[in-house]
Amino acid sequence: MSGLDCRIQYQLAHYELAVDLTVKPGVTVLLGPNGSGKSSLLRLIAGLAKPRAGRIKLGDRLLFDAHKKIDLPPEQRHIGMVFQDLALFPHLSVRQNIAFGLSLRRIAKNAIKLRVDTLLDKLGITQLAERSVTTLSGGERQKVALARTLITDPQLLLLDEPTAALDPSARGAIRRWLHAILAELQIPTLLVTHDAEEVAWFRKRVAVIEKGQIVQRGSYHQLLREPLSDFVARFAGINLINGEVREQGNEKSFHSSGGSRLHGIFAGVLPGPATLAVAPWEVALFAVPPGGSPQNVIPGRVIERIVLGDRVRVTLLSAEKLVAEISLNAWQQMGEFGEGTELYAVFKTREARVMNT
Amino acid sequence: MKRPRLFSLVLATAGLLLALLILLPIIALLLASSPGALLQLMLRSEVQQALWITLLTSLLALPPIFLLGLPAAYGLSRLNGRPRRILETLLELPMVMPPVVAGLALLLAFGRRGLIGGLLADIGLRIPFTLLAVVIAILFVVTPYFVRRCTMLFSGVDRRLEDAALLLGASPFQAFMRISLPLVRRGLAAEAIMALAQGIGLFGTIILFAGNLPGRTQTLSLAIYTAFESDPQQAFGLGALLLLISLLLLTAVKWVAPQESPQ
Repeated sequence: MSGLDCRIQYQLAHYELAVDLTVKPGVTVLLGPNGSGKSSLLRLIAGLAKPRAGRIKLGDRLLFDAHKKIDLPPEQRHIGMVFQDLALFPHLSVRQNIAFGLSLRRIAKNAIKLRVDTLLDKLGITQLAERSVTTLSGGERQKVALARTLITDPQLLLLDEPTAALDPSARGAIRRWLHAILAELQIPTLLVTHDAEEVAWFRKRVAVIEKGQIVQRGSYHQLLREPLSDFVARFAGINLINGEVREQGNEKSFHSSGGSRLHGIFAGVLPGPATLAVAPWEVALFAVPPGGSPQNVIPGRVIERIVLGDRVRVTLLSAEKLVAEISLNAWQQMGEFGEGTELYAVFKTREARVMNT
Repeated sequence: MKRPRLFSLVLATAGLLLALLILLPIIALLLASSPGALLQLMLRSEVQQALWITLLTSLLALPPIFLLGLPAAYGLSRLNGRPRRILETLLELPMVMPPVVAGLALLLAFGRRGLIGGLLADIGLRIPFTLLAVVIAILFVVTPYFVRRCTMLFSGVDRRLEDAALLLGASPFQAFMRISLPLVRRGLAAEAIMALAQGIGLFGTIILFAGNLPGRTQTLSLAIYTAFESDPQQAFGLGALLLLISLLLLTAVKWVAPQESPQ
């Protein structure tokens, strides 16, 4: 199965959406702040809105071409979309919702029932079949919405903020479930989100959209290593330390507003106000200050500790506030320290990027 | 005890006066006749005829109101901006037109010497002063109201539900039939009854366009008007009868109407 190839332009209220994007089988995450044009892009691809110019190709089918005046209506695009608010049909049961797409085609009732049952079973929601959709929980609604789309065998899947409407307690479970389902399907999928944790689940292919433009693409780790914009850096939960770059002789150094003198990579950086960026997983934690290769050492006190699956996020407060992400193993080996513990945060010079502000 | 605020008192007084204004004439009308008198009235053949014509024409008008009004309302609810405002103004035209003037206008359009009266005569159709004229009069006056209220019903349906249906492979017509229409069905039932009630009470337009011919075009409203000149007591009775029918329909509307918006 081949993917989506889309190059379109569309006038939004405050700026022009101009996007060049390919979506291969598997999940591509489209990440962007609110109002960056993410949802508009989905509507354009789905055929619910019409681009001003450009071309949309899905596999070898041309869905839209401004020059050739091709514009397939949404019902002929074979695109599945899960809306942010899910848009389940409130007057139909779970089974009727899921069967909706099939019931429009000339398919025997028995065959429909069989396919719905198979899918319900595969998604692990058989027990919901006869319920009214208005009585479902957020997570259950999410599953039904995906099932309703999947049963039509879409050639492209569009997911608009799939977990944004859920309460935080349900989010983790649904993300895991969604990840497992999508990994198995290998349908080209475009997942739109503004949530960092969502990206952490689907980390292979990420595109970042800001003000209607794709500003960066790559893997999650590429993004985090070299954030090309403030949004990406902040989104990634990357530590940003404010300060200034000073030059003494030929040597540059970074002095934080909190008074620490730190080393980093100063490629093309001029003396003056600057930010030092370091990713949380590049920050190691020690009970005693280590010696050795040139690195930055910042002592501090643990003010927050969150266990996230097999990772532990630790926030250390000193003159700076620094977030470290270590493995669960490492944390356990350090005696499962809690809040209030005094530790040393350490990161290598080459992991700290200094940018002028 | 907490003293009521002056503003609350003003509101309560206004409400009370309005309630009196509404209830006083209704009670007066009901007091003017008795159940026995009403029964007597119902046994008279000209009353039965008028009642029959009233109900028949209103019911006959219902299918064309739906046939014309429903697609128009749905289409209108899917429009935005200038086109929608222009069409809505067109709809409001019959609403602000005095009913008597509407009757005259219909006569000038469909009458013997009217705009298309000749055309109609050629195919052997004479509309004025027939039962068909009563139906057309109802259609002309009631449909715009029907369309306006149904537009609001359809506007209340989340557009994303239809978008979702389209993406699942439904044509726009299928999306309408299987999503929007079922979602507003209770509201539509209420609108049908409202249209009936409006048609039953119509007077000015009918008397000019269809005339006041007992047994042919005379509805209850017209019968009241005729009776008032010769036998006021009978007019009161007929009035009470018409009022009871309206109350019955109002109860029906409250019965079927959705308690909340169709979401």
